Amino acid sequence: MVVHDRSSTAGALLGVVAIVFLVGQQLSVLFGLLNYMSVLVDHSNADTWITSADLRNADAGNLISTRYLDRAMGFPQVEWAAPILVGNGLFRTPDGSFEAVRVVGCRRPRLAGGPWDFAEADETALLDFESVTVDRLDFEKLGRPMIGTVTEIGGRRVRVGAITDGARGFQGTLVFAPLDKVKQIAATPPGRYSAILLRFRPGTDHDDAVARLRAAMPECSVFTTAELSRLTRLYYFTNTGIGGSFGFSTAIAVMIGIVIISLTMYVSVLGRYRDFAVLRALGGRRRDVAAVVFSQALMIAGAGVFIGFVLLAALLDATRGSAIPSYMPPYVPPLLAGSAVVVSLLGSLVALRQALKAEPASVFH
Amino acid sequence: MHVERGMHRLVLEQIARDFTDGRQVRRVLFPTDLEIAAGELTVLAGPSGSGKTTLLSIIGLVLRPSEGRLILGDRDVSRLDEGAAADIRLREYGFVFQQPMLIEGLSVLENVLLSVAVQGRRPSKAMRTRAMDLLASLGLAATANQQPRTLSGGMKQRASIARALLKSPSILLCDEPTSALDADSGQVVMGILKRIAIEEQRVVMVVSHDSRVFPYADRLIKLENGRVVSDTRERYVEGRLSAP
Repeated sequence: MVVHDRSSTAGALLGVVAIVFLVGQQLSVLFGLLNYMSVLVDHSNADTWITSADLRNADAGNLISTRYLDRAMGFPQVEWAAPILVGNGLFRTPDGSFEAVRVVGCRRPRLAGGPWDFAEADETALLDFESVTVDRLDFEKLGRPMIGTVTEIGGRRVRVGAITDGARGFQGTLVFAPLDKVKQIAATPPGRYSAILLRFRPGTDHDDAVARLRAAMPECSVFTTAELSRLTRLYYFTNTGIGGSFGFSTAIAVMIGIVIISLTMYVSVLGRYRDFAVLRALGGRRRDVAAVVFSQALMIAGAGVFIGFVLLAALLDATRGSAIPSYMPPYVPPLLAGSAVVVSLLGSLVALRQALKAEPASVFH
Repeated sequence: MHVERGMHRLVLEQIARDFTDGRQVRRVLFPTDLEIAAGELTVLAGPSGSGKTTLLSIIGLVLRPSEGRLILGDRDVSRLDEGAAADIRLREYGFVFQQPMLIEGLSVLENVLLSVAVQGRRPSKAMRTRAMDLLASLGLAATANQQPRTLSGGMKQRASIARALLKSPSILLCDEPTSALDADSGQVVMGILKRIAIEEQRVVMVVSHDSRVFPYADRLIKLENGRVVSDTRERYVEGRLSAP
């Protein structure tokens, strides 16, 4: 069938390609969004976060007192501790309109929790009290500000000092600024921060240190960076409908693929029913017929996975650096390929059932 | 189940077959006793519905008899399970069907090799050589790498004979092998089958209602309404291999 029955092969191939490409594209967007959800945590360069108690996600913490900063710094395992302050503000664009932004304040000179990749200039720009960063992906939205552009956030004067590359949060546009500037913009009470970031000294037992911190600050939540990242992703995944939405669309893509594979292989087997009867009459057992059908399915799956991944790679390459969230963790392609093969085999079951009905006696007239 | 090779003898003891048509049980083959020997070409003749295809299917182990015993060599093979019957078909039987039933997408040579590869075995180099020799002996050497669709009906049927003979089967069963062929091609095919029966000492059974086949028969068994109505034997005459 694979070589001779080209239309059926093309149909089944289309099913596998659809599965790999559509599911792969959905997953890449999902993982891209997951990265956005925990972007600040993942790029914080910290080992541990201290936040307000009963935190549900990294974006929804209450402000905590500066005394926890002092308390954390008193731990011998802590190499450094730095606060961050996250607030919201309205960014005035050149045409006089406003755009909502999330302002992340980090303390100079360490700038822990600050920006990481830059398209223009670098983090030293934030050593200036007035300076803020904007991201390359938000240029159009913010009216194409340039380095040196002076504008307002939350009615406070700021100057664009650096342009970040790919710093985008799940809740929208991220602007980094010195901590004191964010205090002005967000009008937070003095001595209050969104979170405290810690880095342990080399050789520290992290589990032990975190346990000690938790014991010392029962009125706060203490997370490792990985824990907070996972908590935040899980929160958005389960509470925003993203999980259900992506799960549904992925299931639809898989079902479409299965239906295409099933129908085309079934029609192909119907057309070659006599050949299977000949195989049986010549001495083929049912399992030999099954081997033929599954071999065809595997060949189609192999070719389909290859074509699907080529198309997926082209798509990911085309959307790299764009505002479309896309990311493919290294463990996903092998899982996707394996799943596509399993789905192909499942799709061939209907055809197999038909092929096994081929009676060797039917070859005699 | 192992059947010793070289036991070129088929014995049917009171073989009968019923088919169920809805609630009605219909007997299409009444108890039949036959012994079919190697070294002669046996033709099974009769009008449509006479039971000859049913009998051929039972002998070919693709249909179980409702009654009776089928003895191949010294073994009763009438109640084998599906896998054991397939193994014996693979080892002991060659089939030539009414239509050549070559598989499109495979070359002529691959079709011939299919008879040994059907259980997933890779054909040996010796088997490939034998396949080529068989094709050459049947005048098909030049077509080995062609697709079946490029061959005439007679050439396809000869290719199917090569497929049937590749594994040197003890028993060659042919179902109306000339019905889809013109007269000349039919004579060529029957000449080949006759030669195989006599020179290679195999059991060769041909089912046909084509009277042009009868002169090739060493033994002519006629069926009507599921019963053997005549069983006549002709002495083999030297020089009748290629033309009756």
